[in-house]
Formats: sequence, structure tokens, C-alpha cells
Amino acid sequence: MNDHHASAHDPHGHGEHGHHPSLWLYIYVFFALCVLTGASFFTYSDAWPFHHPGQEWVGWTFMMAVSCTKAMLVIMFFMHVKYEKSWKYVLTVPTAMMAVFLVLMLVPDVGLRTHHYDEGRMQRAAMPVHAEPEGGDAAEQGEHGRGH
Amino acid sequence: MSTTEHAPHEHLVLEYHPGLPLSRGKTIMWLFLSTEIMFFAALIGVYIVIRFGAFTWPRPHDVHLSEPIGAFNTFVLICSSVTIVLAFEMAKANQSSLAKIWLALTFALGGVFLGVKAYEYQAKFAHGIHPSASPRSRLYERADLVYAAAVRQRLADVRTELEKLPERTDEQNEQLSRTSTLLNQFVRPLEKKAVMANTAAERQAALDLLAYGVFHAEPHRGEADSSVEGKKIDAEEDRLKAEIVAAKGQREAIAAELPTITDAEAKDKKQAEYDTLGRAIDTEIPAMIELLPTLKTGLMSDDNPDAHWLKLPLMIPSGNMWASTYFLLTGFHAIHVLIGLIAFALMLPMRFTAKNAGILENIGLYWHFVDLVWIFLFPLLYLF
Repeated sequence: MNDHHASAHDPHGHGEHGHHPSLWLYIYVFFALCVLTGASFFTYSDAWPFHHPGQEWVGWTFMMAVSCTKAMLVIMFFMHVKYEKSWKYVLTVPTAMMAVFLVLMLVPDVGLRTHHYDEGRMQRAAMPVHAEPEGGDAAEQGEHGRGH
Repeated sequence: MSTTEHAPHEHLVLEYHPGLPLSRGKTIMWLFLSTEIMFFAALIGVYIVIRFGAFTWPRPHDVHLSEPIGAFNTFVLICSSVTIVLAFEMAKANQSSLAKIWLALTFALGGVFLGVKAYEYQAKFAHGIHPSASPRSRLYERADLVYAAAVRQRLADVRTELEKLPERTDEQNEQLSRTSTLLNQFVRPLEKKAVMANTAAERQAALDLLAYGVFHAEPHRGEADSSVEGKKIDAEEDRLKAEIVAAKGQREAIAAELPTITDAEAKDKKQAEYDTLGRAIDTEIPAMIELLPTLKTGLMSDDNPDAHWLKLPLMIPSGNMWASTYFLLTGFHAIHVLIGLIAFALMLPMRFTAKNAGILENIGLYWHFVDLVWIFLFPLLYLF
């Protein structure tokens, strides 16, 4: 640490604002995180109205929104990013861009891999149980199963 | 860099400060976390891309994942995030012993998380759900002849193993007879039916019934089991009873024929046929009728006490890929938790003051990041 002398008064170092969260704030954030976890878990309960096949995306979108909210709470308050000066953007913005880029670059090869399966590969591929009414060949099963 | 507060047009006095305006430890921690973000973004991204590019993906229940256990672990990690931040706050306030208590609590909560994880892994391993290469795993992608042969082979192996025992307990005798029954009355007839089938649909129906009897997913939430196979198994009892009648007729015919045969070899052959029919009529088919309810829930379902020694191959489409991604994601996360625990253990003997609170802040940043990863892993793995 290069700021041993300053740290007696300001253990955060000198890159941060003076005000700090109170202990109560941590408790509020904790309860918010618990409630949000409950909200995610709610999609599993019978009371969640979108269990029917074809509606999965509602739950998925909801859960990802909840997870992003939880992540923001942890980053902002527990990791004190809310109280940091603008250096935080130097690290987080490029990293976030790289992370998104990385995932997008996987889509053509990995995400769309089944679009390029040949017949031999298709005959060994995992298929949904009862993908199609009885009769019909394996390649056709694949096309039916794609909607899952 | 900072400017002094002078009026414009006067001399600007610039104070040069190299690097980020942070302590060295914190800078290094944030740089490390940046690489960690990309590391986990890659892992989670690969999972999402693999999963949504797949034709099918197992539901949590197919692979024995328990959502409440996952939710509990999420709660444990959230609690530990609060305790580590409180440890830091206490250290800043020069309350060393309180800081230590919160740190010890964080350590304990991390331990609980890993304990639950270990329990979950154990349950997967016990059900044969893990990536494996030698010669291949117990998970099969689809009900085809390769799968049927694998089930038959496993049952034959179990039977040979039991037969080789110098002496068998009552339980082992029971296991032996059950294995024979399954082999002769369930797997072999269906495999034969599939091989001899005239159409692809007929073949698939036989193989589907075989796979269903071994293991099948629970019906989707709120839906009754409307599968064709369930109904077929219900109808099986009548068919088996009719088979007993037919076999009895056959046996009588052989009994009448036997005294007329003079050739010794032919006579032995007929006698063997007679004995096989007798076994089928007296023990195997009645035993098979008794086994029908088990087939209805699945031989490898948790309700069947025989599942743990039968260890039959399972037909779980995309199960291998699921196991690979699940163990990769949760495994790397668990390693991070473990490293955090080691750091906590090393720090526990320390005395915390406002002077060295920075170290608690830095390990706290790491621990919050580990919590952050789990925040995304929990819904993606357990609830999607």
C-alpha cells in the first residue's frame, strides 16, 4: 500500500468520496437481496402463471432482470462502487464490453452448431422425448425439436 | 490527477499521481477482478450459447437438481456478503474483536455453502450423472439400439457378477432373480421387437418403452402423465397374463411330445425348452407383473430401492452436455469459494484496525465477486 499514512484517517485510500454507507444501509440491501432471491424462486412455485410450454421466456427474462438488479446492488453497495471516483469506469466499462463481445463471438460457431449438423451427426444427436408423432425420420425429428 | 482551486487563467498547478488513485492492493484486486469477470463471462456465455443452441436440455428434476437447495445456498452467500462487509466496517472503527467475529462468521457461511455443494455433487455422482470417458458415461442421448444394448449388457453383467459369488445372501438371491426377470421379460423382448420391427415407428415405440421403464422425467408441472408408454405399461399386465396362458399351452404340447422323442440330443433340447417355459410361467412372468408398477415410475427413479445396485444406463437427452457445463460452472465457482475460505483462515489470527482494514476490503471485494457469480449461476442452472 502506498498510502499507509493516509489510511489511518481514510482506509479507503484517497480515490473515494468522503461519505460512506451506514450499517443500516447494508441491512436494507441485505433484505432487498433476500426479497429478490425470493422473487426468482417464485418462478419455480405453482403460483407463477407462466409455466406452460412456450412461455418459458417470461420467467427467463424476469429472472435475468432480477439477477442484474441483485448484481447492481452488490456492486454498488457491498463493493462500494457507488462511492468510488470515476476510475471505476476505466476498469468496468472495457471489461463489460469484452465480456459481451466474447459471448457474441461464440454464437456463430457454438450457438448455431446444430444448423450445420450433417445427417450422420443428426442421427446421434440428443432429441427431445416425443419430439414428433410416431413415424418420420431422425433428421425430421431435429427440425421439430428445434422449437424447444 | 487533481487541480488546485485557482481562478481560471492563473497558473494551473498539476500534481502527478501515477496509476489509478487507489492503494496498490486495491488496484491489483480490481485488475484481478476484471480478468475474473471475463473468465466467468466466458464460462456463463458458453453455457448459454450451448444450452440454447441444443435441440433439448434436461429439466432440473431430470438431473436431480433441487431448486430449494440452490435457493438456500444463494441465501447463505448473500449472508456471507453482509458479514464480510460488516467485518470491514468494524475494522475501520478499530473494533478488532467484532471484525474477527464477522470474519469468522463469513468463514463459517462459506463452509456451509461448500458443504451443501458437496452434498449436491454426491447426489449427482450417486445417480451416475457426471462427465465420464471410460468407456463412456451412463447417460445416453436417445433411445436407440445402442442404448438398448447398453441396458441389456449392464443387466447381464450384474447377473454374471451375482452368479459368480461363492454363496449368496437372501438379498442377493432376490437381486439375481429380479435381474433375470428384467433381462428375460423386459429388456430382451423389447430389444428383439425393435430389431425385428418393420417400420421405424414400430422400432422407436419399442425402444421408447424400454427407455421409459428404466428412467423418465416426471410429467411437466400441473400435467398428468399422459405418455403413451405409461398406458402401455398399464396394458402390459393383461398381455403378460395372456402370455402365461399361451406358455402353459406350449408347455403341455412339449410334455406330450417328450416321451415320443428317441434321439437323446433332441430330447435334451426339448427338455431345456420345457424348463425355460416352466421358469417363465412359475416365476419370471408373475415377477414381471409385480415389477410393472416399478417400471411405471422408472427402474432408476429414487422410489425404487433397487436403483442403487442396478445402476442402469439412463436416457437423458443432452444429459452429458448438461453434466459438463454444470460441473464446469459450479466447479470453478466452488474453487473460488475454497480460495476465499483459505484467505479467511489465514486472516483470522490477524488483529484488525483502521490501519490494515484495507486487506479486509480487498478480500471482501473478491468475496462479493464470488457472490455475484452465484447470483447469475443460481437462476441459470436451477430455474431455467
